[in-house]
Amino acid sequence: MSQAVIESLGLTKTYRMGSQQVHALAGVDVHIQQGEFIAVMGPSGSGKSTFMNMLGCLDSPSSGEIRIQGENVTHLSAAELARIRNRYIGFVFQQFNLLPRTTALDNVLLPLLYRKDHDGNNDFASECLRRVGLAERMDHHPSQLSGGQQQRVAIARALVNQPAVVLADEPTGALDTETGLEIMQLFQQLNQEGKTIVLVTHEPEVAAFASRQLIFRDGRLQSDKQVQAESASEHLARYRAQKQQEGLA
Amino acid sequence: MKWWMLCKVAWVALQVNLMRSILTMLGIIIGVAAVIIMLALGAGAQHEVDQQIKNLGGNVFVVFARGRASSGARGASGSVQTLTEMDAEAIEQQIPQVSVAAPTIWANAQVIYGNMNWAPSVRGVDNRIFPAQNWQLAHGREFSAAELNSAGRVAIIGATVQRELFGASDPIGQTIRVDRTPVTVIGVLDAKGQNTQGNDQDDLIFMPLDTVRKRIAGMTLASPRAVRSLIVQVADERDMALVEQEMEALLRQRMRTTGTDAPFQIRNLSEMVETRARTMQIFNGLLAAVASVSLLVGGIGIMNIMLVSVTERTREIGLRMAVGAEPADILRQFLIEAMLLCSLGGLLGLSIAVLVTRSLEKFAGFTAIIQPEVVLLSIGFSAMIGIFFGYYPARKASKLQPIDALRHE
Repeated sequence: MSQAVIESLGLTKTYRMGSQQVHALAGVDVHIQQGEFIAVMGPSGSGKSTFMNMLGCLDSPSSGEIRIQGENVTHLSAAELARIRNRYIGFVFQQFNLLPRTTALDNVLLPLLYRKDHDGNNDFASECLRRVGLAERMDHHPSQLSGGQQQRVAIARALVNQPAVVLADEPTGALDTETGLEIMQLFQQLNQEGKTIVLVTHEPEVAAFASRQLIFRDGRLQSDKQVQAESASEHLARYRAQKQQEGLA
Repeated sequence: MKWWMLCKVAWVALQVNLMRSILTMLGIIIGVAAVIIMLALGAGAQHEVDQQIKNLGGNVFVVFARGRASSGARGASGSVQTLTEMDAEAIEQQIPQVSVAAPTIWANAQVIYGNMNWAPSVRGVDNRIFPAQNWQLAHGREFSAAELNSAGRVAIIGATVQRELFGASDPIGQTIRVDRTPVTVIGVLDAKGQNTQGNDQDDLIFMPLDTVRKRIAGMTLASPRAVRSLIVQVADERDMALVEQEMEALLRQRMRTTGTDAPFQIRNLSEMVETRARTMQIFNGLLAAVASVSLLVGGIGIMNIMLVSVTERTREIGLRMAVGAEPADILRQFLIEAMLLCSLGGLLGLSIAVLVTRSLEKFAGFTAIIQPEVVLLSIGFSAMIGIFFGYYPARKASKLQPIDALRHE
């Protein structure tokens, strides 16, 4: 087995609620290889969000380890974790989390601005916006963009630091079916280009586009299986044809 | 993040809540304006005092003849104790630190020229008055020896008298009447303007000592060469105390008096003026201190709004942290925002202070001087307030856990 891009070893998170100890995660081992497209599923309270937050170095485990490209990042300081996130992780959120009153291009540039060695070159940021199909909207503010377009800006922002892994938390949750399918199509394309993507969702239809499914239950990994990914492009084509027929009928 | 990027981010944040930013700044604006105005008025008053001390002739004593001893005991004729021209000469000759001692007599008289009349202060002097009180002649000449010795009917007039009697026409060579005595104007003094008490220093006429003694009515002097006062100028300011002692001793000896009830009184005019100025400065300092309390209150307002701003923008902070902002980056961002708020407030306060002092000068006759160091100090001070009161909210922001901040509703 080759070197994992990101892996968790015996990952445990315990919260204290009054006198009770709550195990949000109880020893999770996951190894994620370069180029995988993984869907993380499970009911709420299953620990899937806690797992994602720790993969993204937003939260630290009670015990166990997170390793990014073989490096143990578990006991780093807040500032060091910020640097790790800046270099290795790209985030896509359900609510897009774009800065208002800031252009699409400046939103995409944001991660680079927190780099000490950023030279003020915007070319790659524009390239990322072009990649997600927003070449014409670089100077638009989020309020001038549709939900799907805003999520594309967020995806461009997650790509701009050339991360080892893109973490997407319910990226289609705030979008209508068609726009959601478009976003999934974009994720599949990015995966085919070699990007490693981990996506949290509670919709099996969305999880079906990934090639590996992790299912959490009660803080443990219930199942971890390779699946045949469905094509988002085909779903989108079928959906549009159906909609057109309904329109005609 | 580069500091200019932080400034840009802060600028955008301030614009988003423009009204709130302005209201927040108001405390700083008022505080800075009040402090600068108070200090400017204080500096202006000090400047006027300095000017007046310079006009008084620098290091000057005035020796006044006092009314005769009130004990009722009167000396025989010829032993009358009073100031005379000879005392002036004795002071000049026997106290080497004295550069000039000018004898003067003063009276009030009606002065008439053509159909104009005016009532200035009339001074009997000799030419020593010019160095003693720093008078310069704008036109004409000083008194000649003959005029001084023979009670010549000549006068040198102050700028106010010239304006009131002659207007724009040339007074030199013209004859005016002082009470009933016709005298010829031979000179005009340079204007000195008002002193700090608001008295017009140019409302006077100089005439030879004897002329005033003999020709101006109402003069009853104890001796033929008696004078009302001596204006004594000391060469070096550091010798003032010494000269005062020696003069006191010399005059007592000359008048053969030892008691506390001396028939003369020595006054140091610049000291009186300075005492007044010091009182005024203390008063102004007090007002400035009160004004700086409003700066403090303004600072607390800044802290309040920054705390609100941090809470409002918790999700933004979470996002910035997620994409790589270190706690120090967040701290800096909010500190710069608070500093920008305060510095802008400081600049606006400064502009208001300039406007207010200008109008005070123009419409109320104040002298106000805004010193450059006061400007730097108050702007620097308001930026410091920004750092001080912005630090707690900024630190609070930087201590947020990224995951909690992102989930914040």
